[in-house]
Amino acid sequence: MDLNPWLDDTHLVVCVGSGGVGKTTTAASIGLWGAVHGRKAMVLTIDPARRLANSLGLSRFEHEGHPIDLSPLAGAEGELWAMMLDSRATFDELIDRIAPNEEVRDRILANHVYQQMSEAFAGSQDYMATEKIHDIVASGAYDLVVLDTPPVKNALDFLESPGRLVSFLDERVLSWFLDDGPRGALGGLLAGTSAVVLRLLAALFGREFINDLTEFMRDFDALYEGFRKRHRTVLDLFRAEDTQFVTVCAATESSIDIARFFQEELARRELARGGVIVNQVHRCDGSTHDAEAVLGDVARGLATDLDPTTVSSVLARLGMAHRRLHELATAERAQIERVHHAATGGHFYQEVPRLDTEVNDLPTLFQVGRELFGTPAEDMRAGQT
Amino acid sequence: MSVQSLLDSRLLLVTGKGGTGKTSFSAALAVLGAVKGRRTLLAEVDTQRPSMAAIFGEPPPTEPKSVLVHLDIVNVHWDVAIAEYMKRYLRSRRLVDGILKNKVVRRFLDFAPGARELFILSRLADLAANYELMVVDMHASGHAFSLLDITRSAVGLFRSGPMLQRAEELVRLVQDDGTKMVFVALPEEMVVNETLETLERMQHAGLLGGAPAVFLNKATLPSLRPPERTLLGRLAAQDLPPLAREFVRAGFWEDALEQATAEAQTRLADAFDEPAVLVPPTNASGVPRHVVAGIAVHLGRMVGVTRRELPWI
Repeated sequence: MDLNPWLDDTHLVVCVGSGGVGKTTTAASIGLWGAVHGRKAMVLTIDPARRLANSLGLSRFEHEGHPIDLSPLAGAEGELWAMMLDSRATFDELIDRIAPNEEVRDRILANHVYQQMSEAFAGSQDYMATEKIHDIVASGAYDLVVLDTPPVKNALDFLESPGRLVSFLDERVLSWFLDDGPRGALGGLLAGTSAVVLRLLAALFGREFINDLTEFMRDFDALYEGFRKRHRTVLDLFRAEDTQFVTVCAATESSIDIARFFQEELARRELARGGVIVNQVHRCDGSTHDAEAVLGDVARGLATDLDPTTVSSVLARLGMAHRRLHELATAERAQIERVHHAATGGHFYQEVPRLDTEVNDLPTLFQVGRELFGTPAEDMRAGQT
Repeated sequence: MSVQSLLDSRLLLVTGKGGTGKTSFSAALAVLGAVKGRRTLLAEVDTQRPSMAAIFGEPPPTEPKSVLVHLDIVNVHWDVAIAEYMKRYLRSRRLVDGILKNKVVRRFLDFAPGARELFILSRLADLAANYELMVVDMHASGHAFSLLDITRSAVGLFRSGPMLQRAEELVRLVQDDGTKMVFVALPEEMVVNETLETLERMQHAGLLGGAPAVFLNKATLPSLRPPERTLLGRLAAQDLPPLAREFVRAGFWEDALEQATAEAQTRLADAFDEPAVLVPPTNASGVPRHVVAGIAVHLGRMVGVTRRELPWI
């Protein structure tokens, strides 16, 4: 069986969208679909909650790629790997790669500011995700790489953060910190026209911190060129022809607002809009809720040995349940119209019905893939003007 | 956990997996606090697209604004947070603005690890001091943890100066008895997993003050009696026409939701000191203001607030 034509030409898939809409599950099912069809696929999550591991039946997984046992799926031809980003380890690897020599590398790795920055702060995690994904794609070890991003605000950071780090490392700014005056690092810092500003920073953040930071910046200076090159390469990767962004949402108002916002952002940034996937869609046929008319005779025939009130209570319940499900499906349909329009100009639009069971094992995950790829998606390119 | 004890707290930090209803519960708790007569502030943190606009009819401004009697709303944006912080040390607003426009300072703050998060927490703490109750609609659980955990890291990072002092104050605030984490969960396995995982990380990192609380949203307890279940099973085994099958499918859909609630309730009870507060699904319209009203009515009953006392009902 061929992959979906869209997935066939894609090397990197980036899943974006708000939380709680099955984004991680979608990412995992795309990877699994590729793996079952002979690809060597890698799914990477930067979500600190380790959701991906859950849906793959793992309690957790490691910074290093972890192969998923596909034996529950008979006939899987490829491989599926999964990885949870550890930003600290990724950062260390990066420093190791671009440091000019061991001495600088060791000094940076031991620096107070560096340690706190790489370990504890959410901002660097987004940046490190781009690093890791670049490594994985560039290694050529995988035919298909799928990235699961955190909910929307963070995913935006994730697109911007390489710029944030590199812009700070801008040579002109570095020179403020690295002005080698006769009074040494901090003396140099506080010299000249910037004295007031820098003294204020020192007063606010503490002199030790400014010293740590100055030392860190001095060492980082040697890495500047390396960072800048990496940043450009990473940006190129996200703009590459075989990279596609997929917007995932559920049929709720807030999730669809965010999906629409995302579609606009991707267009504005000229990033490839692969498509829109609406998850967990409820469906319900039939406009009558009269269970007695629809099921009364059958139910009575099946309940001859049961308490006589059972038939009426079950019929009442089924009528109510059908009404509720129908109302929910109708309300969702109105929301879905809004996102369907926003999908125009991307490659495809697909709805995935809500499954009866939770997606927490491989067969169910594969079933999601079948919904995603097994039925032809709507081609949205035609709508582009 | 009683809802009343939450409303008697000083600071409620509301979190949960994305899509669980954090914002709706934050708003409902804040509305109830206000109806109970406590001067209440409802805060959103650094949102690019404030979700409270749909509830209160206007996006929360960067300075607290009154939307109901006793209730103000605010969006804590880090830009404003840092200006406020600087004003503690510099009296002149002009000087603060000038410094913050300085390119080096901008870049420094962009880059300094955790600076944004620390200023946001600092601003939250300042705002909390002016109210009897503050409810914060936090990020999704993983990122809410990171935001709070900044307080610990900052104590290690800033080895002197006012930032260190501030970080230490914030650690004390987070750990105060009057500060409570409020989790919003859904009766879904993965949502419960994430709730328990976040709780454990927060316990481990010492980021919990008063006893944490958990709401189980969209909860419906099992209601099928054994003979009813038998009959439903028999119907499912029949070769039924399509419309009849839809009715049976709807029946199973509802039963599965109920079973999931019971399971979630058991798992949460094992991890939290107090049982989860169950809140049934609100109407299907999904209109944010109606959802908040529905939750507020339900929680209101637990604290003696009637429908008539609530706004928008």
